Amino acid sequence: MIAVDKLTVAIRSLHNRTISPLWRFTLAASALLLLLPFTFRLDGQSHADWLQFLGSFHPLLVHLPIGMLVLLPILELAGRNRVALRESAAFVLYLTLATGVITLALGILLAYGGGQTGTTVMRHMWGAIVLLVELLVCINARPAWISGEHQRIYPALLAVTLLTLTWTAHQGGSLTHGSDYLTRFMPGPLKQFFRSATRASDAAYVGSVYALNIHPIFDAKCVACHGAHKEKGGLRLDFYDLLIKGGKDGAVFVPRNPDQSLLVQRVTLSLNDKHFMPAEGRTPLTADETATLRAWILAGASPTAASVPGIRTPTKNTQIPLQPVGDYSSLMNDIREMQQSEGAKLVAVSAKPSDGLILRTIDVASKFDDAQLARFERFAPFIVEAELGRTVVTDACFDTLSKFKNLRALHLEGTQVTGQALAKLSSLSQLTYLNLSGTKVTSSRLAPLKTIPNLRHLYLFETPAGLESPLLRKGVTNSQ
Amino acid sequence: MKQHPLCTDCENPITPLDLPIPAGLKRQWAAVETRRRFLGRSGKVLGWAALAGLFSEMRLRSYASGADVTSPASATGNALGLPHFAPKAKRAIYLFMSGGPPQMDLFDYKPNLAAQFNKDMPDSVRGNQQLTGMTAGQAHFPVAPSHWPFGQHGQTGTWVSSLLPYTARMIDDLTIIKTVNTDAINHEPAIMLMNTGNMNTGKPCLGAWLAYGLGSMNDNLPTFIVLQTKTNPKENNQPVSSGLWSSGFLSSEYAGVGLRSGADPVLYLADPAGVDRDVRRQMLDTVEQINRQTLADVGDPETNARIAQYEMAFRMQSSVPELTDLSKEPQSTWDLYGPDAKQPGTFAYNCLLARRMAERGVRFTQIYKRGWDVHGDVVGVLPTLCRETDQGAYALVTDLKRRGLLDDTLVIWAGEFGRTVYSQGGLSEENYGRDHHPRCFTTWMAGGGVRPGIAYGETDDYSYNIVKDPVHVRDFNATILHCLGIDHSRFTYRFQGLDQKLTSPVPAHVVDGLLA
Repeated sequence: MIAVDKLTVAIRSLHNRTISPLWRFTLAASALLLLLPFTFRLDGQSHADWLQFLGSFHPLLVHLPIGMLVLLPILELAGRNRVALRESAAFVLYLTLATGVITLALGILLAYGGGQTGTTVMRHMWGAIVLLVELLVCINARPAWISGEHQRIYPALLAVTLLTLTWTAHQGGSLTHGSDYLTRFMPGPLKQFFRSATRASDAAYVGSVYALNIHPIFDAKCVACHGAHKEKGGLRLDFYDLLIKGGKDGAVFVPRNPDQSLLVQRVTLSLNDKHFMPAEGRTPLTADETATLRAWILAGASPTAASVPGIRTPTKNTQIPLQPVGDYSSLMNDIREMQQSEGAKLVAVSAKPSDGLILRTIDVASKFDDAQLARFERFAPFIVEAELGRTVVTDACFDTLSKFKNLRALHLEGTQVTGQALAKLSSLSQLTYLNLSGTKVTSSRLAPLKTIPNLRHLYLFETPAGLESPLLRKGVTNSQ
Repeated sequence: MKQHPLCTDCENPITPLDLPIPAGLKRQWAAVETRRRFLGRSGKVLGWAALAGLFSEMRLRSYASGADVTSPASATGNALGLPHFAPKAKRAIYLFMSGGPPQMDLFDYKPNLAAQFNKDMPDSVRGNQQLTGMTAGQAHFPVAPSHWPFGQHGQTGTWVSSLLPYTARMIDDLTIIKTVNTDAINHEPAIMLMNTGNMNTGKPCLGAWLAYGLGSMNDNLPTFIVLQTKTNPKENNQPVSSGLWSSGFLSSEYAGVGLRSGADPVLYLADPAGVDRDVRRQMLDTVEQINRQTLADVGDPETNARIAQYEMAFRMQSSVPELTDLSKEPQSTWDLYGPDAKQPGTFAYNCLLARRMAERGVRFTQIYKRGWDVHGDVVGVLPTLCRETDQGAYALVTDLKRRGLLDDTLVIWAGEFGRTVYSQGGLSEENYGRDHHPRCFTTWMAGGGVRPGIAYGETDDYSYNIVKDPVHVRDFNATILHCLGIDHSRFTYRFQGLDQKLTSPVPAHVVDGLLA
């Protein structure tokens, strides 16, 4: 009964108490701060220079509120013996807030003006906003602490604020110095220690049976409940490291023993069993998927094994990563001039200069000869594709082409080349596509192509090479 | 200073200066007030200036169109900064099966349906699906299993109807999508949505977007060409209007150029007697001068389009005869495309033209084949439709492949929607009809950018609802753009206050599962 009385009194007093102006200010200011990122959405496009200019003072100013905030608990602690220090702490607190707000404003100008965006920037910004809101709350809570009314609230708030500060500052550090700035020069043993604590990643398993066959099953059928968002039964299946850790009921599989593996058991129960997985009427695993899982566990459940008996890895053709070429922006004037004089065009593969240029001759094909080709030699490093189909180039063109070191695709269909000097192409390590259709190339002249390491697509339609119509693709000249 | 309760003039509140106090005090007050106001105001002014700067810039940007003229690519011809990334496909050929091919008779194999013959499709399957006026009055929805057997083909063992023996041969090269779905149930809105991303007429179509975004690869032929297949009067031909290859709000020079399906693909192509090339050239030069004058006076950008089109027409006088002269095609071509290809206007002939256009740098070719609207007599009409299109499509893909063009050409085969599993009208052992069905239909792609040899997505036992991996028309179009190096969400054109895009304002996604 007494407790109930106390409660009603407390509620009544709460009811009667009007919100103080300071709290009102705090709420309004917090709302404004929280709205800020929605008003100036970081859209990844750069804006006026002067915004960036002002913003560039952000890294300079930022250390001021940080220093003061770190000073704050020291003042409060030392204030136990020296009252003057505790009194100055209040001033430092206000000053921290004031400089913090300015710093945030400059930071947003910097990010907005410079077109910066991305997770780290967003985290850094949100961290700073939360930090300022926390400071506002600290200011509100401090008087009660001084008067001895509430002993714990202010210190706890201060601790939380300092933690937020640490996290936010770390994001800022990652922005300026790169995300690995802390671990980069860490002594070996320490690094080892931290590695186990860092986020799980399957990056090391690219191309393995686990990555190609097993992980996709989990991803499609299990991760909705056993992943980063939900962790039912304490189990996560989205990364190998977490998978082997198991869940509340222990390890989910026993290497080399699928029948004893909890995971296999649970997905093969009868549909009506309440332990059946996937639960809640989600799509069950297919027979193929269960078989794949079994085969993988039977083979030892290795994350790195590249082949496992009984599992066919999907034959997704492994793409050769495109080799970036240099930036041709400085040659822009020459490129334009060349086009006006020759008619052949150098066309950008994409908006990214490092994707290179295409040499396009289609409109002047009937006049484009070896001499004209030779004039494009100075753009050689930037040309990744040469469309020379139906031009009047001859075998002499290979002298020039051998200097196109970044060439990926070469069209020579319908030209006069006989393949006499094909050996000169062997220096083109990036070449994957060669079209010799409709030329006089004979099969005996194709031998040197074996030395082109990455050649995947060779077309010899309507040539005397004897490889008639259907489709000579893949493997034919692949030396591996 | 507290205001008098009766004073309502908030604009000019009473200040100490108005009060009957000594002048010295007033001066003192004024001095204090000024400094405070000065400092306070100067701070505020800076703040407002910053804010105004931010806002005005946002407004300015919102009025500018999406073009980013400062990108380095602009110097090599593309002012839009396109392609956004290195594309897998440089060009595309779209085989449009107007009318809505029945997916369960061609690709979407449903062996369980045989047992359901003439049984009503459960209401639970139909759900709240709106029906067309043609079947809404039907008392029964009897399941009509496909009349034709299916077989497994290729190394992938993909099921294909016996109606498509040629398609079956190239099945390992195809990316079959069984779960394309659309918002519309009638032809005009559905075909518009498929082509322009919007059910209403007036938006640019895929080809116009590509012509605008990627530009031409050659000087002598249009960037976007449309070929119509001659209609077969025995088939149920739905109209195909030029709105489907319109440039909408983009400049008219990006609209598709339709070639006629007769022996004369472009009328009056040759200069009339007595007019030689020089005379024609001089005439065009004068017309251009007049047009330039009009442009200067009126400032209508469409005048520019007109000038460009005159020039294109002049060049087409020599390029089109060369394009359509098939006399130098080797015998292997005729073996591949079949006897139909010798007759101008057939689907096979158009496929052969499409291959020749691909060789000559045409960015986008769209071939329309009408007649797939099989409301009745499926058994009678469908084999004809398949015979007319099967070999041509196969020949096109195969020809592109053997000539080394399939690596950077995307071939697309699609209609505007699918058809119902239940029979429209009477169902007998011998025959049935099928109504429009928007919830799922099958399309395929082949070539640059897409993953060959897969069948993507799954439908339910009635080929009525999608159970796995739906691909909305918008996603379908977003994926096509992706293959051509375009991020659909960044490819916009400001019109009527909106950043318009092919994939419309509703979010669309590139279907990763389809990509190579």
